[in-house]
Amino acid sequence: MKVDVMPDVCQGHARCQDRCPEVFGTDAVEGKCVILMPEVPAHLQDKARLAVRNCPEGALVIVSD
Amino acid sequence: MTAHRYFPGPPDHVPPELIHEFDIYQFSPGVTDPLEQWGNLLGSDAPRIFYTHHNGGHWVFLDYEDVREAFRNDALFSTFQTPIPPIEPYPVMQPQGVDPPEHKKFRSLLAPLFTPTAVAKMHAELRRRTTELLDGFADRGSCEFGRDFASVLPTGMFLYLMGMPEDRLPEFVKLSEVFMRSNDEAERTQNIQQIYAVIGEYLDWRATRPGDDLGSVLVQARDENGQPLDRQDVLNCGFLLFVAGLDTVTSTMTFIWRHLAGNERVRHELRAMLDDREQLSTAVDELLRVHAVPNIYRRVKKDMVYRGITMKENDRVVLPVSVANRNESVFEHADVIDLQREINNHLTFGAGPHRCVGSHLAKTEVTIALQEWLRRIPDFSVAADARIQGHLGPTMGFSQLPLVWTPRR
Repeated sequence: MKVDVMPDVCQGHARCQDRCPEVFGTDAVEGKCVILMPEVPAHLQDKARLAVRNCPEGALVIVSD
Repeated sequence: MTAHRYFPGPPDHVPPELIHEFDIYQFSPGVTDPLEQWGNLLGSDAPRIFYTHHNGGHWVFLDYEDVREAFRNDALFSTFQTPIPPIEPYPVMQPQGVDPPEHKKFRSLLAPLFTPTAVAKMHAELRRRTTELLDGFADRGSCEFGRDFASVLPTGMFLYLMGMPEDRLPEFVKLSEVFMRSNDEAERTQNIQQIYAVIGEYLDWRATRPGDDLGSVLVQARDENGQPLDRQDVLNCGFLLFVAGLDTVTSTMTFIWRHLAGNERVRHELRAMLDDREQLSTAVDELLRVHAVPNIYRRVKKDMVYRGITMKENDRVVLPVSVANRNESVFEHADVIDLQREINNHLTFGAGPHRCVGSHLAKTEVTIALQEWLRRIPDFSVAADARIQGHLGPTMGFSQLPLVWTPRR
């Protein structure tokens, strides 16, 4: 499973980091999303999926499942 | 000769079928609960977008999609000069009162300091303060929740974050209450001046001896030319930091604890998950969805037709997030508190470029408060003789919540 962020849609709310900090980090400049694990390991996929669906801006995508 | 109305009426562009009687600062007869006051609009004949002539006249959006759109679409809905009733001049809070892209100057300064990772460093201090407050009354078997706990905790955290002295706590609590609750123009003007004076005096002092606190970040920030940021902007940012994270957290906690006091099932369910970080996080999100205290204001940026409705530049709009959060097409069984609701895109913190930058700190304050409280005081109720009167406004809440329990010993 691969995840990605749309940088122009991301507003840096970091709800993804709150849900799944292993996969989603934040940059030091604007607090925007940084994908730490583009390829998500099996044991984190449920958490990562929840993080994607809980983004207030809909800025996260599951590129392949 | 032109006929003039004796009493001012709604503007010409508002058709009569969109006008609904509603005063955002007044309870209907017999209603004392702010959530109920707003929630009653859902069963009424109020259109999903309506206009009220009270408080200078403004629109109200009841639907989740419209509220979300107003948050996210800064081309149509501005945060610049939005108070209701209109107060001119009004401080331009940084970054909240500035439209994109200019808001980025201060937003980028603050956002990295409030991420979950940054907030994690505050946990120990937060837990220490929470425990210390509980020590003050846990064995007494009673407390006034606001005075003894919920107004002190976030205020103390603000002073700590900013690097301000702790002995100014009671002064700060009073200042923020007036700011959030007063509808009196003269009182509000004086209150705003007082807040500015306090912030300015502190930041000037901080500039002479910077540390690693938030106040120091503000006074030490430099623009792309290496120059300090504009002093008024820095003051306005300090002003926002002061007012945004105080009464909001206090009121949210008061709503939640009032609910817990009357609901053994929810207390029981929460107690079982206090040590499970992820479960508790999901549960707190749901508590925040239901107990959404803000009513957010926006200003229409230009003449437009929105959802078939004519709106004019400078029309004000009220976004009651507690109503938006009850939308059944977004939240299944929206009126049920489901502590395991995994997809929860509530609008309690807003959305878009100005979504609450302190949301993780707020959520953490509530989470740690729940953990420490329920471990010490697992069961409690509202005092039998209590008369709970709520207040409306930009942050809804209750002035008092007397709680009682059997002390453990």
